[in-house]
Amino acid sequence: MWEETRRIFVESMEEVVRATARILPSILAMLLFFVLAAVLATVARWAVRRACERLSLDERLREWGVATPDRDGRAPPSRLVAGLSFWAVLAAGAFLGLSALNAPAVASLSMRLVEYLPRVVLAIVVMGAGLAAGRFVERGVLIGAVNMGLESARMVALGARWLVILLAAAGALEQAGLGSAVVTVAFGAVFGGISLAFGLAVGLGARDLVARSLGRRFGEKPPAGDAEGTERNRLRHL
Amino acid sequence: MPAGSTSSAAPAASAAPGAIVVAVAADPREPAGPRAAELERQLSAGLEGRPVTVLVPAALPERALVAPGDPRASGRSVPAADLAAGGVTGRHSPLGALLAEAARRDAAAVALVSGAGREEGAGWLRDLLAPILDGGFEFACPTYRRGRFEGLLGTAILYPLTRALYGVRLRQPAGAEAALSLGLARDLLASPDWRRDPARAGSDAWLVAEVLAGRRRACQVWLEEWPGDGGLPEEASHALARIVGPVFRELELRADRWQRVEGSEPAPTFGPAGPRAAGPDGVDVGGLAGRFRLGLRELDELWGLVLPPATRLALRRAAAAPDEGLRLEDGLWARVVYDFAVAWYTRTVERQQLLRSMTPLYLGWVAGFANDLRGLDAAASEVRVEALAAAFEREKRYLIGRWRWPDGFNP
Repeated sequence: MWEETRRIFVESMEEVVRATARILPSILAMLLFFVLAAVLATVARWAVRRACERLSLDERLREWGVATPDRDGRAPPSRLVAGLSFWAVLAAGAFLGLSALNAPAVASLSMRLVEYLPRVVLAIVVMGAGLAAGRFVERGVLIGAVNMGLESARMVALGARWLVILLAAAGALEQAGLGSAVVTVAFGAVFGGISLAFGLAVGLGARDLVARSLGRRFGEKPPAGDAEGTERNRLRHL
Repeated sequence: MPAGSTSSAAPAASAAPGAIVVAVAADPREPAGPRAAELERQLSAGLEGRPVTVLVPAALPERALVAPGDPRASGRSVPAADLAAGGVTGRHSPLGALLAEAARRDAAAVALVSGAGREEGAGWLRDLLAPILDGGFEFACPTYRRGRFEGLLGTAILYPLTRALYGVRLRQPAGAEAALSLGLARDLLASPDWRRDPARAGSDAWLVAEVLAGRRRACQVWLEEWPGDGGLPEEASHALARIVGPVFRELELRADRWQRVEGSEPAPTFGPAGPRAAGPDGVDVGGLAGRFRLGLRELDELWGLVLPPATRLALRRAAAAPDEGLRLEDGLWARVVYDFAVAWYTRTVERQQLLRSMTPLYLGWVAGFANDLRGLDAAASEVRVEALAAAFEREKRYLIGRWRWPDGFNP
């Protein structure tokens, strides 16, 4: 009985050792992928940071109103971008590493994730650009509306910002391949609705203001008794 | 050397020492050709013995000066966007071509004048050229008789800022029209800015800054009529962005020069000085005050990036006053302008947005200025303007401090 037990044990051990020997290269290959990915991710982070510095990304984003000044203590945008590139490369390396294991299910899943990763990164970039553009547009519209004397300048500016963000969100979801048809229809409905509401608001509520603005734009003289027109005629800034 | 500075179609006049070359700039309202031909005839009659050549810019895309009768003179020489009173960007300015023509012809004097029609004949141009031809000056800046509420941007920013920066009291340093000596023309022509920054070189702000920062012999000549009177008034935000931007740019690039200037000296003046008594006698202070308060309410967050807390507090106090009592104290306004100049330099806010966001503050200043001028005659109004300019000089240390340490503690 003891002999039988010993034989089974030895055979099992041999089987484990053989299995380990079979799988060990794959594990080593996976670890090698991980190490390589970590090195590449570090290099990518460094390169992105340098590129951001050369492009003065933080300064430009602060200038456009997208990022807050340094004194707020928040991480600068360049660090976020560099971090994103680091984790994207690391994730790609990890998925590739998993595919080195001789497990068909894991390999198939990891390859699909690797293929999907660029779309996710692109979607994040589109969304980030949309958020940045939204802030910039908001500020520009706010200044323009205040200079036009619109009491509801803040609301107009916020509306413009959300339109841009909505457009970016639709683009990002489309890029990510998430429910593209639903997103397109929903976006069309919301965007069209907002545009219609804005058009009605301007048409009904600010008709005179728009007429005056267009008149000024095309060199039309303001009508007699028009207070703003009279004021403009009097004030010569140059 | 500016691009397009030579003109094959220009009259092939032999080099004539003592000649005068005049360029008539583009005008949106009428073609420059007939006006230039008439000016040449009148000026030649008034300046016996001196050959006079009047040139006009060729139509786009050519960038040269041609004779008024040249077929290329008809057509637009400046893009529509630039055709507004007060000056054009350097890229479309005829100044470079004019300087090259003056150097080529060994002209005794050279003038850049507006293409807008005047009803005064050519006497005003003779007056403008006289300090160059007879007085030994290098730069003559025209100063127009205008109403108290005309050229407000010049009164609020251009005059006091230019005076404080360069130490010369030129009342209307817009630079759109000017007379220059041959020596100055040659020196300007040799400037590396034509190659390095063609959009800047030749602009009105560049010309004035080159003259004043270079300590050239400058004077001002009072003229009767401002040539831009026929045009539509430009919106305040557009005017601010278009005119103040280039001035801030010069301020940025000449920091080593203006930081060494202290105080100011009057520029030699020719002609009877003083504003025109006629003209608008008041403005809608209530409307302007409303714009100022709206800006204070909606743009306070943005201004927080530009203005220190004490300035914003002072602005809020000013806004709390009734319309008739609203007033931005001179020192406060000077600091506001300086803070915006520093923000332009440090790019705290995108530059076009920064300048446009200044509009409510400027309108608030106009409201206060109108309140101050109520009941004052033209001469007393000028005294008020001089007090404002003196405040800009007093506050210059503030500008220098902020320029050197823009992130320093500034309560």
